[in-house]
Amino acid sequence: MKEYQLSYIENLKQVILLSDTASDLGLDAEHFLRARQEKRGRIRVLVEENTVLLRKHLFPLLDDITTASAEDIAALEEFANALMPNNQDVPLAYAIHNALIVYARHYRLRDMLIRELYNTAMTLFHLNSLIEVTDPHRYRWKMQMLFGEAAAYIKNYDEIEDPEIRGYIHRSMGNLALGYNTGTLENGEKKMQILRRSLQILTDPVYQQKTPSLPWETYIYKSHQERTTGLSFLRTGMASPQITREVMESAEYVWEKQQEMSRRTGRPLSTRWRVTYNTAQYHCGILTLRQLLMIMEELYMQRDVSDFTDEGNYTNLFLPTMYAEYLSKDSRYKAAKKEVLGHMYRMMLRYVRSVPPEKMTFYFVRNLMNTFLNFIEYPDGIQQRDFLLQLAVCRNPETFVYLQMTASVSRMILNRIIDRKPELLIGVLGCGNTDDVLASREKLAQLAYDSGMFHNIGQLNFTRMTTMAGRNWLKEEQELFHYHVQIGANILKRCESTKRFASAAEGHHFYYNTLGGYPDDYDPKEHENQAIVDIVSLAAYFTRLLDDTIDYTRTPLTLDEALRKVAEKSGTRFSPAIAGLLQEMKDELGEYLKDGRLKAYETALYYLKREDPLP
Amino acid sequence: MEMQEKFTSAWEAAGLPVVVLARTEDGFAPVYQNQTADALCGEFGRFLTDCIPEDIRTRLLGGGPCPVEGELPFFCRIQSGAYSLVPFIWEGFRVCMLHEVTGYYNENQRILNEAVMANKAKTSFLSEMSHDIRTPMGAIIGMTDIALMQENIPARVKECLNKIKVASGHMMSLLNEVLDMSRIESGRILLQEEDVDLADLLHEILTVIRPQADAGELHFSLKLGQMAEERLRGDSVRLKQICINLLSNAVKFTPAGGNVEMTMEVVPAGEPNRVFLKIKVQDNGIGMSQEFLQRIFVAFEREEKSTTSKIQGTGLGMAITKNLVELMGGTISVESRLREGSCFSIEIPFTASPDQEERHRQALSGRRVLLFSDRKEQTEQIRGMLERLGVSMDAAASADEAVDRINEMAFSDGEYFALLTAEKVKGAEMLLFLPQVRQRMGTDFPILLLSDSDWSQMEYVYTRAGVDAFIPLPLFRTRLSAGLYAFTEEARQERSEAGGQRWNFRGKRILLAEDNEINREIALELLGMANLQIETVENGREAVDRFAETSPDYYDMILMDIQMPVMNGLEATRAIRALDCSDARDIPIVAMTANAFVEDVKNSLDAGMNAHIAKPLDMNQVYSTLDYFLGRGSR
Repeated sequence: MKEYQLSYIENLKQVILLSDTASDLGLDAEHFLRARQEKRGRIRVLVEENTVLLRKHLFPLLDDITTASAEDIAALEEFANALMPNNQDVPLAYAIHNALIVYARHYRLRDMLIRELYNTAMTLFHLNSLIEVTDPHRYRWKMQMLFGEAAAYIKNYDEIEDPEIRGYIHRSMGNLALGYNTGTLENGEKKMQILRRSLQILTDPVYQQKTPSLPWETYIYKSHQERTTGLSFLRTGMASPQITREVMESAEYVWEKQQEMSRRTGRPLSTRWRVTYNTAQYHCGILTLRQLLMIMEELYMQRDVSDFTDEGNYTNLFLPTMYAEYLSKDSRYKAAKKEVLGHMYRMMLRYVRSVPPEKMTFYFVRNLMNTFLNFIEYPDGIQQRDFLLQLAVCRNPETFVYLQMTASVSRMILNRIIDRKPELLIGVLGCGNTDDVLASREKLAQLAYDSGMFHNIGQLNFTRMTTMAGRNWLKEEQELFHYHVQIGANILKRCESTKRFASAAEGHHFYYNTLGGYPDDYDPKEHENQAIVDIVSLAAYFTRLLDDTIDYTRTPLTLDEALRKVAEKSGTRFSPAIAGLLQEMKDELGEYLKDGRLKAYETALYYLKREDPLP
Repeated sequence: MEMQEKFTSAWEAAGLPVVVLARTEDGFAPVYQNQTADALCGEFGRFLTDCIPEDIRTRLLGGGPCPVEGELPFFCRIQSGAYSLVPFIWEGFRVCMLHEVTGYYNENQRILNEAVMANKAKTSFLSEMSHDIRTPMGAIIGMTDIALMQENIPARVKECLNKIKVASGHMMSLLNEVLDMSRIESGRILLQEEDVDLADLLHEILTVIRPQADAGELHFSLKLGQMAEERLRGDSVRLKQICINLLSNAVKFTPAGGNVEMTMEVVPAGEPNRVFLKIKVQDNGIGMSQEFLQRIFVAFEREEKSTTSKIQGTGLGMAITKNLVELMGGTISVESRLREGSCFSIEIPFTASPDQEERHRQALSGRRVLLFSDRKEQTEQIRGMLERLGVSMDAAASADEAVDRINEMAFSDGEYFALLTAEKVKGAEMLLFLPQVRQRMGTDFPILLLSDSDWSQMEYVYTRAGVDAFIPLPLFRTRLSAGLYAFTEEARQERSEAGGQRWNFRGKRILLAEDNEINREIALELLGMANLQIETVENGREAVDRFAETSPDYYDMILMDIQMPVMNGLEATRAIRALDCSDARDIPIVAMTANAFVEDVKNSLDAGMNAHIAKPLDMNQVYSTLDYFLGRGSR
């Protein structure tokens, strides 16, 4: 790698370390705040340094990629590959691999093209995993296009001499199945069809003889592993007998290989494949739901809480989520297993607290999001709102501080509205006139506060990009980040304790005049609490202007400057009536800001220091 | 009861028909009419519903003063007589008293008729004069354009010139109508006999009408029925005029939110090569009274209603339309109901013109195309048309599905000949998707865009995205087959024999600022192939100096690398824009960069650049960008 590439990666690592709050938890709020400010300052320097490195060395090279030397190209490939472990910088890796495709096409370097098609598609697979639940299409078609193009070189197999490149062809062919992890029965059938074709080729002696040096056994094993992910279709009831049969076959295959490996190496059997095997058995009618749940419980009890590998993530995060999914299939078990699930949720929170920042991979985040989206809330059990709040605190206390300040400002604005223009709140919480509004002050204030508190919960999905970004954002990242509003709303809609805040999550970036912002399909008329969304939208923007905790690259504004900024957007981004009232609140806001942030830090630290944060 | 007695004692013996209206929350409502009014108007209430015109009724029932000064008399026709209506206020009630004025009214009508006759004479005079008036009008318009093109015109003068341009343009269109009418009436109009391509014709019509409908907030739709033939022999200019007249009328007289629908079909006429073109234009606008319907095709007739008084026009449009249709041997009819809308139908016989279908079919038969569209009806229509050409088709309704199809085809023994794509497909970002298809399938793979938009407005964007050609919607079989045929070996051969060159920018000169020597060489070679004159500099400073030292309009465009030594492209652009030369602010400056932070894209626009071309240079993109900015590149 080139010098600047090594420096860039080193800086990335430093940013990730500095973003970790664990070492400062022993401090009181005031010192904690100072320590964080000092670290933010250092992060800012590193971010600027990395941005300059890219501007000076990388981007000019990517711009003129066809004029790059062979040495440059080799270094670029190495650099891009080094950005991938632990998903350190997938968007940049994507940009580099894309440029390498251009280079390979330009010089008709077929082998390089195949390799780079595969590599680029893999970066898209990782990006796709971040938003797949909300928008499965954004990256899928492109990922499939690239894998498909690489795989189609199977027609030129004999002309390609390098066994490694032949390997990329086989892997691309199998990886086409990665595009069909969720969705309809049709997707399930496509996935199985792709893997069937891939396995036919992998087990074909002719191909094996043509390239004996390839790890055929591993390819076949991995293909069977991928085929077992078809269990997700079985869980949602979208499976044909053909899918069920093929999943079962692969589960058996993987299970046998696992046992064989365990016997050979003496290592314990993987929890993941034990669960997979038993789940497949359940779907084939061999095990009952009761037996499956018992096996899951038993395997869960054997987990290693300090294992942050994919296997550890699976046992500590994914297994409880799947357990919840199976519980919801039968109301008897759902009622009977309340305590077990509650325990799993508590333990999950501790696990998430202790995960080192560099291990916050996309796989980890995806598992976490799946937990939210399958969360089971009992009326007298753990509430999703408490669970989410604690996760926000433990993964990023500064985000929590920002949320709490937004919540407080939202409540202040709401009270001012009730005093001065209560008619603005008619319609919210069923208030039919101003008398209703005045009589509902407390409930309305609580709704505004909670909506402010949860409006940005979708940002948890982008923790890596927001708190550990080692450079300025690329356009791709900005567009990706827009999904936080829908992701947040989908999570909040799931449970009774949070569903009323979903509108604020979804609409807080949408313009009051409907001519700007996102998401495009947001319609204010469909949200009965739109006035609360307007309040939160303004409070969130205003709070962010005063703060540099989330966006390290921005210098915080003074109160006067922030109010001026809000005034500039009155009538466009913000409701003019509410923006006007905010201007009147200067003294009240000034008073709050004297110690509002410090108090929010105190709350965050209070939660973080509790052994069991959940009520 | 007491009130009724009060009315009876006051008005029963009046000897004239009297109707009393009482005040309500939002105006007035009838509460009494005397026996004389009963005898004249019929039962209570019919005075208002049956006897008086709508505009007077609205005024009487409304809450405003009635009459206002200078408004009287109101006239109405009841049975065979004419009456004047005088409303006045009596003890808070609005009293309407009717006086019979049949003799007076008829006399007035006679005077009016004479006035109309005199007006016709004036019109006739105007018709004869219009040709002579057009000539100086042409000069006014032309000279105004020239004046507007001058540099450093004072703002006030420019404003006046613009107003002259708008007003003279409007006057010219009125004169044209008058002239047309006079030509028709004097039998001086001659129809051309030429090939009429209905696809072209319809596309041109829609390009005019769609913006009008959008401006009026109308829902415009087009339906194609059976199209037995798509190329006819006739006068395309006059046929277009007929259609535009009918559609413009529908758009003009349909309020916002209404619907205008055009239906077109070509059916066999029972003789070889003879067909009928049937066009129907239907709206749900203000409609016409049965009385006016009798006069709709008479020159200078316009229905005088409060709803039409603000709509401009000569009243010649329908008369011209009818005369043109009849000149072509066709018929025109109209159905209309007041406040419900109108429907004009025309039917014109034509001779079919031979098309190229057989030649296209021979070249295309046996091929397979991929259609990317989420409109089921369109998909089936295209499938049918392609089958007739011997072409098979796979359809994809999403980007995911399209990629699946491409992948599946790649694993099979077959191949797609082309991609036909809709302009919009739900959930797909076409400007991201199409370039990927282009990269995957290579430069020789035809990508054809189906769209009902104006191609000239979108060509720049879509050719950069990889689209090779455009097929206008609504889709015609001949247009589809010609579009696909253009990419066959046979067509290439024909073009080659004709010696065609795709891009030609002869006479254009650009300045290329690029520090990388190899990039400069590549650009020089490729741009030179399109006959461009290229001058190069190696950094931003040199670009600014070179631009400053050359005479105005020496360069037609600047291609500017962003990352350059000495002075980068952004600074250079700012410096050029700040120069005191007449073309410094207007010369197109196009950035060349592929990778940028979010703020970089904004910075380049903020610096004064007009667009950016992705590196490495894709010559199709470069040429289309050049074509867009230079405007005169020919293909």
